[in-house]
Amino acid sequence: MPAYTAITLIGMVLTVLLDDVVLRTRLVRTATFWISLGIMFFFQIFVDGWLTRARDTIVFYNPDDFSGIRVFFHTPIEDFGFGFALILATLSVWQALRRREQRPGPARTRSDDDAGSDPADGGLGAAAGGHRGGDGTDLGGGAPPAGPRDRVGSAP
Amino acid sequence: MTVLEWLLTNGERWHYLGALAFCVAVTLPLEFLFGARVYRHPRRLLLTIAAVAIPFVVLDWFAVGAGLWWFSPRHTVGVELFGRLPLEELAFFVVIPLCALLTHGAVSSRPWERLRLRRAPTTGR
Repeated sequence: MPAYTAITLIGMVLTVLLDDVVLRTRLVRTATFWISLGIMFFFQIFVDGWLTRARDTIVFYNPDDFSGIRVFFHTPIEDFGFGFALILATLSVWQALRRREQRPGPARTRSDDDAGSDPADGGLGAAAGGHRGGDGTDLGGGAPPAGPRDRVGSAP
Repeated sequence: MTVLEWLLTNGERWHYLGALAFCVAVTLPLEFLFGARVYRHPRRLLLTIAAVAIPFVVLDWFAVGAGLWWFSPRHTVGVELFGRLPLEELAFFVVIPLCALLTHGAVSSRPWERLRLRRAPTTGR
């Protein structure tokens, strides 16, 4: 298997393990993560395409070291797997740090931490019943973080 | 020579860094208009980016050393780090995680619910 292909596949497996087993942030089980990934991938098509374009190329790949499959604007398909790993690792670490910040202080609630100072969601967030979570995950204790509304496949 | 003239004559050199600047610019409104809360947690942001960027940059350093991929000297500003990585490559592993956090932060804040709420009185939904 070409090196970049192998690195990408290993990276994807390791980051899923990081998220689901090591840090137990379990983002891969949330719809929010997959929607975010879809949005990121959409923009990656163009930004990565700009970098990997066939003419006037910015980033070159050794043809012996990747699958040879290029998608959209001449982008090696591995770039999307690499992107998946980079994005998932980032979001997982962020959520783990967020949880750690919030766990020790019992008096410190989610609303103290995240809500309130944002003019964009002003009164509307509160009017919506105050159920809007900062990151769509419930970070209390060791329970699976995803609320039922955020489970993949739980939507009607 | 004005800044504009310099940019026009050296435009190609900014093709990589400019793409990253574009990513930062287009995701900025997510923090201020779409409910993402990333920049306002600078400590957590810094720790997250460090934890992710360091292993990825190390991997990148080895990959470039092994000749898996390389960069156009014409399209990079010419600052090289750790002997082989263009400055842009380091910026990449800062900017893409930042964009991911802002995107996920915005999606998590469920902006569509605020929209629906606003529309509710008129549509009767």
